[in-house]
Amino acid sequence: MPPGAPFAPDLHDARHLWLKAGLLLAWALVTFVACFFARDLQMLVAGWPLGYWMAAQGAVLFFMVIVVAYCVAMSRFERQEAAQAASVRAGGG
Amino acid sequence: MADKGPASERAYLWRLHRILGLYVLGVLGFLALMAWAEQRGLSRHWIGPIFLFIMVMVCAGIGVYGRTTDAEEYYVAGRRIPPMYNGMAAAADWMSAASFISLGGALYLQGFSGTPGQPGGLAYVLGWTGGFVLVAMLIAPHLRAMNLYTIPDFFQVRFGGRWPRVIAALAAVLCSFTYVVAQIYGVGLIASRLTGVQFEIGIMLGLGGVLLCSFLGGMRAITWTQVAQYVVMLLAFLIPVSWLAYQQLGTPLATLVYGKQVSQIERMEEQLLLSETEHQVVRAYLQRGMEYERRLLDVGAALAREREAARERIHQLRASNADVGLIVAASRELASMPRDEAQARERWTREMVENYERARPLGGLPRHSQAFVGDPDGTPKEREDFQDTRRNFLALMFCLMVGTAGLPHLLTRYYTAPSVAGARASVAWSLFFIALLYVSAPALAVLVKYEVMHNLVGSHFDQLPNWIAQWARVDAALLSVEDVNGDGIVQFGEIRLGADLIMLATPELGGLPYVISGLVAAGGLAAALSTADGLLLTISNALVRDLYFQEKTRHTSPEQRVILTKFALLAVALAAAFVAALKPSDILPLVSASFSLAASAFVPVMVLGIFWRGTTRKGAVAGMLVGLAVALYYILSHVPALRTALPPWMLARGLWFGIQPISAGVFGVPAGFLAALLVSRITRPPPPQPAIRLEM
Repeated sequence: MPPGAPFAPDLHDARHLWLKAGLLLAWALVTFVACFFARDLQMLVAGWPLGYWMAAQGAVLFFMVIVVAYCVAMSRFERQEAAQAASVRAGGG
Repeated sequence: MADKGPASERAYLWRLHRILGLYVLGVLGFLALMAWAEQRGLSRHWIGPIFLFIMVMVCAGIGVYGRTTDAEEYYVAGRRIPPMYNGMAAAADWMSAASFISLGGALYLQGFSGTPGQPGGLAYVLGWTGGFVLVAMLIAPHLRAMNLYTIPDFFQVRFGGRWPRVIAALAAVLCSFTYVVAQIYGVGLIASRLTGVQFEIGIMLGLGGVLLCSFLGGMRAITWTQVAQYVVMLLAFLIPVSWLAYQQLGTPLATLVYGKQVSQIERMEEQLLLSETEHQVVRAYLQRGMEYERRLLDVGAALAREREAARERIHQLRASNADVGLIVAASRELASMPRDEAQARERWTREMVENYERARPLGGLPRHSQAFVGDPDGTPKEREDFQDTRRNFLALMFCLMVGTAGLPHLLTRYYTAPSVAGARASVAWSLFFIALLYVSAPALAVLVKYEVMHNLVGSHFDQLPNWIAQWARVDAALLSVEDVNGDGIVQFGEIRLGADLIMLATPELGGLPYVISGLVAAGGLAAALSTADGLLLTISNALVRDLYFQEKTRHTSPEQRVILTKFALLAVALAAAFVAALKPSDILPLVSASFSLAASAFVPVMVLGIFWRGTTRKGAVAGMLVGLAVALYYILSHVPALRTALPPWMLARGLWFGIQPISAGVFGVPAGFLAALLVSRITRPPPPQPAIRLEM
């Protein structure tokens, strides 16, 4: 690629963007909102101070859930798009 | 191999699984062998060096086996690392000396959130894992889709021109270099403890392993070394934690059950806060602090008085024919007195602050499980403390998370995945392997604190365990236990543990055989070496690929480029070792600072470049420069040495919103976004070139 010819990014599928926005919202809730109110979550749940457990373990587990959910959803979207593209090609040819 | 069809891909994966299984068995077998040898009387002086030697040799061996001069192999490991292994390598790359050595200690010292002046605690755990959510969704798959080699390549390809790439390369060098210095410092610390050699020689020993590996094999060798190192790190972290949990709670599953100890610690903290002997310790430190404060009122006279007193003492000792050792000690004390008033003022101020710090309940540590210090409904001071710690906690977490999404050495790891879906899966695997350790770190802190409060506090000074004396000899700043109130019994306020020490001393604290201490040290070494590998490769690639070769059109073959990169790597490693030998600062603040820099320099422009077509080249340049400049300015304005050297109008006045300088990214990231948006708006996007290109 010659220097000076910038590469414009692909147009992002709206579905992908909504997925990202939703998961990022969940991420922000778990990290910033939960930590902001950590002092109010001092009660014991199953032997753990809830605010402490949330910051030490709960949030990390939640991050894993978010990332895995993103992987699974994106793979499904990509499969659907591939199937659609194939049917369009088959229909057109 | 990956492109020969699913059958051969499966065979490849199985071969890797088999090798990994054999390797894990090998490590466990080696541990058993060493434990057996220790029982049969192998001296401790040998165990440390053997672990060090084997660790470095394994790295070097993989480096020799994976040696390559092929560009695709050297820079991105041939893009065929299966996601699970890529994740494991990224985890080792990610977990630095700071995570492995200092994190447990920082959690011990800082509890939930740290103190007003020093945020931390669980912000590290959250920040270093939560960032992967951003990497997975916003960055890694998009970068992988572009088939690049380095991070500055992205800026080149997306924005064109030369400045975006040059600035990105310089920023990559800047933040990776601060980070690599911290790693090499960690290597020196561990190697000198393991082998008893000098700190500087320890650095050189460890560096040998890094260099052999990354020098010969590049990304391919580094990937497999990192997988090997991850296994050692995981074992080295989980064995002591599980052992402590087994001792205290009767089950090795530490992370599931340590909640009980959290409540126990809360109870013991309350007892300590009421204990009379602890109050004596606090008063003793207060007295010392006041003594220094008195001296600071008139530094010149106080210095003269102190010198006179020291001379007097030597005279008396000589006159009474005292022991030579005592006289030597007294003369040494005189010799180490501050040379002039400026030095005296600086040293005494530090001592005063330190003594006042320790003259607080619980030795200045915050309550362990209480979220944020202070009290939202208390006195104005308490309310302010509460707001301050909470704000700094959130700010630090933000910087670490966003910094994760901007650190070049981590992002290049996802270039080695075989596909875009593979890059996504790699991020998920990395997070899994990192979480395995990070979820155990708070458990380690809690169990160690329980052990200290329950067993060490209240024991007699003449029965202190051996390891305390040994570590105090390595560096008094790491550990000191001093009978301040003179009652011969250890109080909690009299123990001071350095953050870098706690993990390394855990096996001895729990009474494990010395072999486990060796393993933990080897794990710390693995953490430091694996991160240093990745960082050195990133720096040398940025210097050679992105700065040297892109500036002019040079006629060189890819092999020659790779060879030049290798020599740049050697030079960078030596420079970093030189800086680390000056012992600049603690590990954790250095690393946190480089997160803030990476966050402000890369993330705003990278995210805008990926998601907004309207970002222009000038906008990108402005975003990177402004973000980096704001963060750098804020950090440097608070470095004490610069504060005295530069005129005050050039520096930031005080803290902005009470945010500590390590969280400078809080200002740098929005500044970067804003600058990139504004400048992109002003410099309208060029006519639609891509459409023209497509027609050609």
